Amino acid sequence: MTRDPSPIVLRLLNLTPVLLLGVVLLLFGLQSNRFLSGEHLSGLLAQAAPLLVVATGMTFVLLTGGVDLSVGAVMFVGAALAGRLALDGHSLAFCAAVMLGVGLAGGLVNALLVTRLRLVAFVATLATLYIGRGLGRWISETRALNLPDDFNALASTTWLHVPVPVWIAGTITVAAQAVLSGTPFGRRLYAVGADREAARKAGFDTGRLLAAVYVICGGCAGLGGVLALAQLGAVSPRFGELYEFDAITAAVLGGTSLFGGRGRVLPGTVVGAVLLKTIFSGLVMAHANPYAYALITSAIIFVAVLLDSLRHRVLRGLARRVIRLEPAGQRDA
Amino acid sequence: MTAHRIMPRTRFLFVLAAGAAVVLAACGGAGESGTAGDARSGRLTIGVAFETLQTEFWVAAWNALQARAAERQITLLEAVSDGDPAKQLDQVRTFLTRRADGIILVPKDGKTVIPMIKAANAAGVPIVLLNRPADATDAAHTVVAPDNATITRDTVAYLIQQARRSNPRVKAAILVGDLSDVNAVGRRDGFEAAVADAGGSVDVVARIPTDWNQEKALAGLQTALQAHPDIGLIFSSSDFMFPSVKSVLSAAGRWKKAGEPGHVVLGGFDGDATAWRLMVDGYVDATGVQDVFFEVDAALRAILDATQGRIPPPRIADPGFVLTQANRASLEARTWGAIVAKQGQ
Repeated sequence: MTRDPSPIVLRLLNLTPVLLLGVVLLLFGLQSNRFLSGEHLSGLLAQAAPLLVVATGMTFVLLTGGVDLSVGAVMFVGAALAGRLALDGHSLAFCAAVMLGVGLAGGLVNALLVTRLRLVAFVATLATLYIGRGLGRWISETRALNLPDDFNALASTTWLHVPVPVWIAGTITVAAQAVLSGTPFGRRLYAVGADREAARKAGFDTGRLLAAVYVICGGCAGLGGVLALAQLGAVSPRFGELYEFDAITAAVLGGTSLFGGRGRVLPGTVVGAVLLKTIFSGLVMAHANPYAYALITSAIIFVAVLLDSLRHRVLRGLARRVIRLEPAGQRDA
Repeated sequence: MTAHRIMPRTRFLFVLAAGAAVVLAACGGAGESGTAGDARSGRLTIGVAFETLQTEFWVAAWNALQARAAERQITLLEAVSDGDPAKQLDQVRTFLTRRADGIILVPKDGKTVIPMIKAANAAGVPIVLLNRPADATDAAHTVVAPDNATITRDTVAYLIQQARRSNPRVKAAILVGDLSDVNAVGRRDGFEAAVADAGGSVDVVARIPTDWNQEKALAGLQTALQAHPDIGLIFSSSDFMFPSVKSVLSAAGRWKKAGEPGHVVLGGFDGDATAWRLMVDGYVDATGVQDVFFEVDAALRAILDATQGRIPPPRIADPGFVLTQANRASLEARTWGAIVAKQGQ
């Protein structure tokens, strides 16, 4: 005999990542009374803003079963170019536009490699990662580019007591989720990720859909680079290094499947990105041993992924029961 | 369908292949220079393999090596492995095939370099590790490296002295580097030794692991300053993280010059151009400087000695120095960051 899942159970299962974030916040809040203060939480979200934007773009790519390893390198190229321009006296707005343009161009290159040359996304974007980092080093001449002080204005300005980067990241994530769940384009991405061949046979232009997600991802990397640069005020030769892994981790922590077809930006990826930043910040506030960071972070990530896996197993099981309806008499017996 | 659709793709592939060929050719040119003939022309030939050129320090060392080699009419075979030890091993084998008279190596880490040292030993070619030592091994080699712990201890001792002028009990924070990097560990140890020497007058309230990542440095320091707004001393294990420190302190209204009320005593390690400029501007109090010119000279000298039958010592320590506001003018010529800063002006 089986029972239909209670709506509360379903809701709780779907909110597992959010609940985990809540538990982590609570645990660190018990360690230090400053941790849950408005000032700290606002700072935490501001720190997470660049990752939120980059991970949003990454979610689009992951939903189609692809991956973009070049986001950090694209951020670096854009930042190195913007740094040069800023030091030559160009305005913040112009530099930001250039970074965004570099991001979109990087995304377009990846899109061409994946859709026109049919390269595996992992290989194509690994190549652009190396090309990007080399290009960025060439542009910056491997020198730290310390930008004029007004470049930090974007990061330090607040609106309604909330840092502007948080507003930008919030707008991007809300818009992204609206596109994913409320437009035919978004629904087609899920279809492509779930079964590309079936999507193609259903008449979807899979090439264009795939190209679009890489361009979106590149654009998000460019914008994330703007936010990160505004916070740091300098471009070092390591700018954006390993950002791709943080972005992938954030998306996966939020429940996005590496195999495509499953995932959400809100709350999923947002929760994943904030969780990563929360763990680091909490450990700093708790004055943890530097060697413990990797252990504790990986343990929490492991728990998150395990819970997500269990959640999906349960949800799959529940879905199967709904499909195989038993005769009413037997159910009541 | 086919003819007119295949053509554009073929053309596209051709253009891409041509582009890739140009990029690969450019990479090859940048990766190694010198000709095979140099190794047999009577001029001394030295293979130089760097793990990375990703920071100003490595670029400064690379440039110094090229300049010193040119002065001594030494031909360099050059290679960069971009953090890939397997690639670096191949580069070392290539040097040996090309009959290099010696090898100068900046390894990724102490473990993966051991097969490279053994390969050089087997070929009877002297090998010098620049700036990063190998793990314990009986394979013959020379290491030229700074004493990170001692230079950092001296630097931090100076910083503590400065901080205690305004407050006998100092709250301090350290931005720790990548804990798999022996240099980062040495600097962390030097910091802790100086704190211990201060006899309880320093309370370390944050030890932030940055993995040499500016964003982590910023996030960690921001949190530490929120938890302890009265932090009076910050030590950055590498100068390249100073922009993060500046960003956090500026936002907190504590980016003040030495001598101004509310100044946070700041120190670092490396002596790069950013630190130099911030010292000139009065924001940074001191930094431990690796003497890149000493290290390069010592490495070349060790190879020359070996080629002339003299056995170089297994370890040559770069004594470095502590650059402070007081001795800045007199040590400018020895500070590689000052030179880089001037070139960048």
